[in-house]
Amino acid sequence: MKGNFAHLIRPLGITLLILIVLEILSTAFLPMVGLTKYRIPFNVLIILYMGFKLETPFTSVMILILQYTHSFFSIEGWEMGTVAGVMICIIISYLKDLLHLTSSVITIVVTQIFQTLWFLIVSSLIYLKTDDFSYIAQKFWRFLPESIVISLLAPLIFGVLDAIWKTEGESGLGSSV
Amino acid sequence: MRLIEDKDRRQRAILNFIVLFISLVGVAKRNYVLDKTSAFEDILIDSFAPLQSSVTSVRSEVGNFFDHYIANISASKNNIELSRKIEDLENKIFEFKELSKENKRLKKLLDFGEGISYRKVLAQVVAWDANSDFKVIRINKGLKDGVQLQAAVVTSEGLVGYIYRLTDHFADILTVLDANNRVDGLIQRVRSHGIIEGYNNEKSIMKYISRAEPIILGDIVITSGLGNIYPKGIKVGTVSHIERESYGITQNVEITPAVDFGRLEEVVILLSDEDEQKRREWEALDQMDEDADNKEKK
Repeated sequence: MKGNFAHLIRPLGITLLILIVLEILSTAFLPMVGLTKYRIPFNVLIILYMGFKLETPFTSVMILILQYTHSFFSIEGWEMGTVAGVMICIIISYLKDLLHLTSSVITIVVTQIFQTLWFLIVSSLIYLKTDDFSYIAQKFWRFLPESIVISLLAPLIFGVLDAIWKTEGESGLGSSV
Repeated sequence: MRLIEDKDRRQRAILNFIVLFISLVGVAKRNYVLDKTSAFEDILIDSFAPLQSSVTSVRSEVGNFFDHYIANISASKNNIELSRKIEDLENKIFEFKELSKENKRLKKLLDFGEGISYRKVLAQVVAWDANSDFKVIRINKGLKDGVQLQAAVVTSEGLVGYIYRLTDHFADILTVLDANNRVDGLIQRVRSHGIIEGYNNEKSIMKYISRAEPIILGDIVITSGLGNIYPKGIKVGTVSHIERESYGITQNVEITPAVDFGRLEEVVILLSDEDEQKRREWEALDQMDEDADNKEKK
């Protein structure tokens, strides 16, 4: 399975469906109940899961596909998220022997740390493009509550994704698919 | 050496490099002023947007259900029949009231700008952007309804934004709250020009106004008509904060938009046949620039 993309198509398809459902809820349901200021970035959570749990050479291609799907729901586009996602997965691959998702608390903390890293990478790209620091400062205040919600949801969503990607019981970051 | 020997590692490194390279090129090329979608993107957006739209209506139905049924569960058993009748009547009254409110809103929207020589298309908001960095809303009208890219979008209160992305049946509006949207504005009372940009979730900021301009709190800001996107004279908002430094030649003015984006349900798209002509003119100018660049290179 490791080196064969055909084996990844089914779980990837289901993951994309989950992403689409979560994006629809986030873009249509939350604003309608008055939460227009914040949005929950489920794409980030799924990409972090791929970095943590899947060890396949095609991670970067799957990130690209996920981000491309995300771009149908956001004018953000797929580019920045793909850069951040691939860079984070490279970093995770070097740290996999140090970190183990053995409990919900550790999963929450590790997810929060890597979301902060995601924020730093995306903010650097935005700064390079716009030369405007005030925009990043505003983004940070939105990032805080959004990232906390994502981190709290991580054990639950990771559980669902474990079942889809058949990685149950493999809690280490270095677990292979 | 390990990288070269291990096939998986080598494949991963190559794919990472290719994807990163393509993405970085994409980041450099991405602009947040206008997005022309491909046929494939059209199909997918048109498939997902009705789902977003149905979630919106389901939420409304569920809301009605909770308001009008669940809240009444504690009613006395003896009054169940009567309560049901009352509930039915209340539901009908509620529906009539909603219809009446909707009629008033739509009438107000359609009456708005009678003097403006634009064709108006009424649309409903179906979703917001998936990323909170962007203040973009999705509406249920698209190319098939005659909507054009960069058409101005308004409500009876004032300016909403312009059409940024367009598919056959849906469109994304870049609102005036978004930092990527720049509107050439005019302070109505003193007629001073400035550029309005999205500033945060609730405010916009007007830049490049001379320090000497006697702007006061509560001044109304309107569109100037420059820039070929927005018609002149549409209300953008009111001045809510003025920042004058002891140095510099300009002042920053914070604007509270006239439109309450938290309660936005319907919008009006202003369409003009001149828009198409303007688009062609811009394209011709772009083409001329490209030709000139190519000649210089040769």
